[in-house]
Amino acid sequence: MKKAIFFLFTIFVFSCKNETAKPIAKPVDGHQLELKYAKGFSVTDYSTFKVLNIKNPWPDSEKSYRYVLINKENAAKTTFVKDEFDGIIINPIKKIVVTSTTHIPALELLNAEETLVGFPGTDFISSEKIRMRIDEGKIRELGKNESINTEVLLSLNPNVVIGFGIDGNNKTFETIKKSGIPVIYNGDWVEDSPLAKAEWIKFFGTLYHKEKEADSIFNTIEKNYLEAKKLAQTVKNKPTILSGAMHSDIWYLPNGTSTEAQLLKDANTNYLWQNSQGSGSLKLSFETVFTKAKDADIWINPSNYTSLKALENSSSHNTMFSAFINKNIYTITNTTGKTGGVLYYELGFARPDLVLKDLIKICHPELLKDYKPFFFKPLE
Amino acid sequence: MTLSYKYSFLALTLILILCFFVNISLGSVYIPIKAVFNSLVGSATEQDAWQHIITNYRLPKALTAILVGSGLGISGLLMQTLFRNPLAGPFVLGISSGASLGVALIILGTGLFGGVFASLFISKWSVVIAASLGSFLVLIAVLVVSIKVRDTMAILIIGLMFASITAAIVSVLSYFGSAEQLQQYIFWGFGSLGNLSWYELFVFSVIFCLGILLSIISIKSLNTLLLGENYAISLGLNIKRSRLIIIAATSLLAGTITAFAGPIAFIGLAIPHITRQVFNTSNHKILLPAVFLFGAVVMLICDSIAQLPNSDYTLPINAITSLIGAPVVIWLLVRKRKMVF
Repeated sequence: MKKAIFFLFTIFVFSCKNETAKPIAKPVDGHQLELKYAKGFSVTDYSTFKVLNIKNPWPDSEKSYRYVLINKENAAKTTFVKDEFDGIIINPIKKIVVTSTTHIPALELLNAEETLVGFPGTDFISSEKIRMRIDEGKIRELGKNESINTEVLLSLNPNVVIGFGIDGNNKTFETIKKSGIPVIYNGDWVEDSPLAKAEWIKFFGTLYHKEKEADSIFNTIEKNYLEAKKLAQTVKNKPTILSGAMHSDIWYLPNGTSTEAQLLKDANTNYLWQNSQGSGSLKLSFETVFTKAKDADIWINPSNYTSLKALENSSSHNTMFSAFINKNIYTITNTTGKTGGVLYYELGFARPDLVLKDLIKICHPELLKDYKPFFFKPLE
Repeated sequence: MTLSYKYSFLALTLILILCFFVNISLGSVYIPIKAVFNSLVGSATEQDAWQHIITNYRLPKALTAILVGSGLGISGLLMQTLFRNPLAGPFVLGISSGASLGVALIILGTGLFGGVFASLFISKWSVVIAASLGSFLVLIAVLVVSIKVRDTMAILIIGLMFASITAAIVSVLSYFGSAEQLQQYIFWGFGSLGNLSWYELFVFSVIFCLGILLSIISIKSLNTLLLGENYAISLGLNIKRSRLIIIAATSLLAGTITAFAGPIAFIGLAIPHITRQVFNTSNHKILLPAVFLFGAVVMLICDSIAQLPNSDYTLPINAITSLIGAPVVIWLLVRKRKMVF
């Protein structure tokens, strides 16, 4: 009996000890990748492997995803509990499939474009380097993003597929995952500031063991952005800005917390709806927009209308705005690649410094005399 | 026309005028009544923007609402009588689907057909022409069938089948369309009353009047048709000719309305029912003008609600017509316990 009590007591003590020891048992030697703006992902480096955590793959997502990134050599020596992770990825990546044009610039900036083997809707890609590879037949067309041609994708056998989701329901990605190809949801588009979106280059850097390159590329972009922002603040004149356009009877325009509005703010302009809040775009009536923005100096980005005539055709009311009368309308839709992809949708996330400079050039032309806008063109 | 109908018409006309002015004076932006009247008579207002909003936005919008409401109501009435089916309406006969197909080809077809459509796509008139052509082609098809098939029920079902075929083609086009094109098509589907310039409104009204004229010509044959086709023939009615005129009137009205304002749901089906419930008659001499007035009034009310007066927001008109209208029909049916038809 005494023995039994002693035995139970020992178990009790040891189990108590185990409880208190838990936090210490956690690996503490993980080194976090430094991120200044991005909130949607994190990378912890455990020297032999890295853990990539995608926290916010789509707006209001409750799920987060964890992936192990490990090189071939270490992978042979280590085992992981499969259920703890959403994918185990051997890196550096040799073959990749990305699904959004916003992922393309990262590959090009990191000199990893030769790893791209497939893309849904290759016509949307404008990058000259990657277009050349498409023409050479080195990048397969995967059909439409919403229903990727799974057979072609499986035959390419990429190390990883970089997807993006509006919500967690994408059956194609589930099928791909089931066949053993990890899918990482990229949430760059959910980030709430232009620099945070650009910082996702570090995510791609991790996949390719090119953290240092990614870091220095981002630092340059950040530096350029902040310098441009500072330059813009030197002038007192703040032109008033109207944005978006009317479809049916509803005027869609970016809300005050959107990245578009932040860029306009950093360009030292008076965006007329800069104080509005909320997710998604504002949906206002024509009357509201007209009363407020009739005399706005500049009209930025009138949706996908490509000419003044198209804007007039869509609604005769558009012609009543001062910005229309003075032809002060600037659009991104007319700057396209060889096959019609809008360059802004590809490069705009990765290069907010260029976007900001474009806006400064439009709104304060005296500040950047020799600069030629990259994305924006006046609507003609 | 009995005295009580005269009073009812007088009351409806007054309600229409009232709704018209309420519609013009209410909107997202608050404009004082005085300024509204000043703009209407052409004198200066405090703000330039108000003048434009009243004369170039709210006024054409209110007139469009009247044309859309009354036109759809009448085309619904014509279809219901012609097919002697309470479920008939411009949507059921495939006329609206034809228009949708035309628009889908213009907006979404650029991906499939390339350049030619892309160049057409830029003009707003192309959408109007495509919608009219689409509904006209479906009409021709229905007419050809109606010559071969004597049974109106069969024509109704064939109309439904046309609607299914066009829906299928639209899905194929949507699959190949780009995100922007899909967006554009969906926006068109929301319906819009406030996007017509005075010139567009003029063209719209000319075709509209032609449709109304054909409907008025058909009043006698509509009343005869209510007795049944065989009886109508025995009364000496040229059934083929009347059928042709009625379908042409419907197509002109529903086709143009869909072309200019997008597919507006509910009105075509429900307004004739509401009118029959209120007027308790099946005489088209009474029904036709009553449906005209009711359609216009309901559409003006729906538009006033869609504008969410004094808020910055606005709702798609298509949602409001169903949301407000359908419960009214249910309530009327429950109250009267049976359908007047």
